[in-house]
Amino acid sequence: MKRIAVFGSSGMALEVISRLDPETCSAVYIGQNQAEVAAFRDKGLKAEVGDFRIDDELKAAGIGSCIDYLFCFFAADSDNVFLTISARALDNKLTIIALIDDPDSAEKLLAAGANKIIDPYEICGRKTHEILTKPEITNILDQTVFRRHDLNIAQLEIANGSWLEKRKISSLKLNEKHDLILIGIVDKASVDDLHFAIEEQEKYLDAGDILVVMGPTRAIRAFKERAALTSELNHQA
Amino acid sequence: MFTRLIVYFSYFLQTSGAYQKTKQFFFNLLENPHSRLKAYFDVFMIGLVMISVFLLIYEIDKEINAIQLFFEESIITIFIVEYLLRFWIYNDNHKIVLEHYEKAEYLDIPFSLSKIIKLILTKKIEYMISPLAVIDLLAILPSYRPLRFLRIFLIFRLFKLFRYVNSIKLFSQILTSKRFELYTLAVFLGFLIFIGSISIFLFENPQSGGHIENLFDAVYWAVVTLSTVGYGDITPLTPGGRVVAMALIFTGLGILSFFTSIIVSAFTDKMQDMRENRTFAELQRIENIIIICGFGRVGRHIARQLKKNQQPFVIIDTNAAHAAAARHLNYLFIHADASKNEVLKHAGIEKNASAVLCTTGNDITNVYITLTSRQLNPDIRIISRVNHNENINKLYQAGANHVIHPFEIAGMAVAEYVGQPVAFEAILGIIREEKQIVMETICVQGGSSIEGSKIADIDFEHSKLMLVGVISTHPAHQKHKNSYPLKGQDFYFNPEKYFELQQGDLLVVLGRQVGVDHFRYQLEKSRLKPGAKR
Repeated sequence: MKRIAVFGSSGMALEVISRLDPETCSAVYIGQNQAEVAAFRDKGLKAEVGDFRIDDELKAAGIGSCIDYLFCFFAADSDNVFLTISARALDNKLTIIALIDDPDSAEKLLAAGANKIIDPYEICGRKTHEILTKPEITNILDQTVFRRHDLNIAQLEIANGSWLEKRKISSLKLNEKHDLILIGIVDKASVDDLHFAIEEQEKYLDAGDILVVMGPTRAIRAFKERAALTSELNHQA
Repeated sequence: MFTRLIVYFSYFLQTSGAYQKTKQFFFNLLENPHSRLKAYFDVFMIGLVMISVFLLIYEIDKEINAIQLFFEESIITIFIVEYLLRFWIYNDNHKIVLEHYEKAEYLDIPFSLSKIIKLILTKKIEYMISPLAVIDLLAILPSYRPLRFLRIFLIFRLFKLFRYVNSIKLFSQILTSKRFELYTLAVFLGFLIFIGSISIFLFENPQSGGHIENLFDAVYWAVVTLSTVGYGDITPLTPGGRVVAMALIFTGLGILSFFTSIIVSAFTDKMQDMRENRTFAELQRIENIIIICGFGRVGRHIARQLKKNQQPFVIIDTNAAHAAAARHLNYLFIHADASKNEVLKHAGIEKNASAVLCTTGNDITNVYITLTSRQLNPDIRIISRVNHNENINKLYQAGANHVIHPFEIAGMAVAEYVGQPVAFEAILGIIREEKQIVMETICVQGGSSIEGSKIADIDFEHSKLMLVGVISTHPAHQKHKNSYPLKGQDFYFNPEKYFELQQGDLLVVLGRQVGVDHFRYQLEKSRLKPGAKR
């Protein structure tokens, strides 16, 4: 279970929390006043009052102990920078995602310790451009990336002893056998580098590699269950 | 009988497509300021004028040979043809005839041919006495042998440049726009010269010990002094003359400053119009232009992407800071309110625009622009930004095809990043075309080798492509599994091997751009082969 603390704009916080998978994520909104917190609680969401400027209150919210992800959604970039610096000082392994208002603040937030910067205006601009130039592709990716339909993309890490280990990519034939499209593989040796499956047909899979697949939810679920099986069990199945 | 013949001929011209087309062609060539043809023609004519003037200078002390003479005559012929064409396109005589004929028929009054001829002649004379037409005529006439004595008028060929060089045209427009100020200045100048020349003549005549022998010398001296040139060939000797000289020099400085300020202020006033006229002229020539309403952060991102993809666009915004930023980036910009019909019409919404993007940070403005755009062009694509969820439906009601909420998309992106960061980055890389791998659609054209083929028979691997799915509206596919509705179409994810492609289907493929291009090329080639499916 991923534990998430969300600070800042209640509107943005609501947008994100409502889209998180409740089975894998547990989010709490830290509001600055009782009214904000009450609005969240009315919707059945977890919320607490807290002041991001006070380290003790951050600790009370779970930063430095049980929180895995921190979302900084303040309207002012300076507030996001301050929260990021404070949280990073409390927890070195925390994943911090921050919103920016001014593009020039991106570097400051990264320097403060944020892992991912989200510029809503940039995303909106790109999205508009995509709809304009590739409407069909954008619609398909909307269905998959943003789960507006049963079609999804998913990532799957190959476990030790899985029947997928030592298999050649070209032999998987996921589209024929599992109704999935294998988009790419992240090699455990080069974590940040995604190799596209079309160009890596001769590659052998290892435990720890991550497969990125696209397909219907049921097919993804079935494949995830099957991927956990060992070679022998897979043959029997 | 003759009258009926003229009326018949006028009707013929009115309905003749060839005649209208020819006249329109020459109008575009000679007069239409938005025509590319005119721009080329103007450059050609500037070249001819310059060559003819150089020949003229050459002729002063040298005999021209037969080739040069032929060249000179060819240029004159072009000038004559141009003059006659302008004479022809200046107005439509047949319209004058028809207008009066129909009026006479309707009111049952006699149709007077003499009145028509008079009207036509008036129109043509109106053209002939227009300044530019006079310049054209004076540039041609001296070339006619019996009128060689008019050779001095050959200099008028240089004045022909007024027609072709926009900046000269603009300067004359500025002078015209400030004629009241310039007229006032000219009267004052004339008055000063008059006073100055009389005064200097009184002080500096030979009887008073000066050098100025007549009134012409006095006027000459006054002009030279007032303009602050001061040749020094005539100098005042008497104290009175020197006082007049000093007064004239100071007044001259004032007049020069006044003249400069008139011209500069006229240029400043005209600058905005000049910029917008240039933008409008350029917009007329560009096809499939995208209109971006609002140059805030979202608008800037879109403009940057469009610029990168060399897709033409124009920005409309009322904000002065946004105007400066857009101009700094050399973008086509209209400094106006995008919700005004006229502004959108100028931007080409009814003609050559393909989409309108409403990207302002104000939902009210976006709704209004969307509604205006939809009214002006029912078929244009409108994509609008929304800032508050409750306004999404209002934008769709106003006519938007797509509505984008920045914070909703950001929220989805954050949620997806938390859930599946690797998958999310992979898709983001594809969308942004950062990883050299693209997702593209390839249309199944009628007559191509894949029309009617089964998926299993198509060699995607040769082009290193991966088939993700097929987008189609064809009812034959409805029996297949994995069908997802997609804006009036169906997306068939991972189609089975026996899925048979139909004309108009869109293949969704993943691969390198070079692979996609190669596959498209193979399909196009297959359509050209003899015996290709038609």
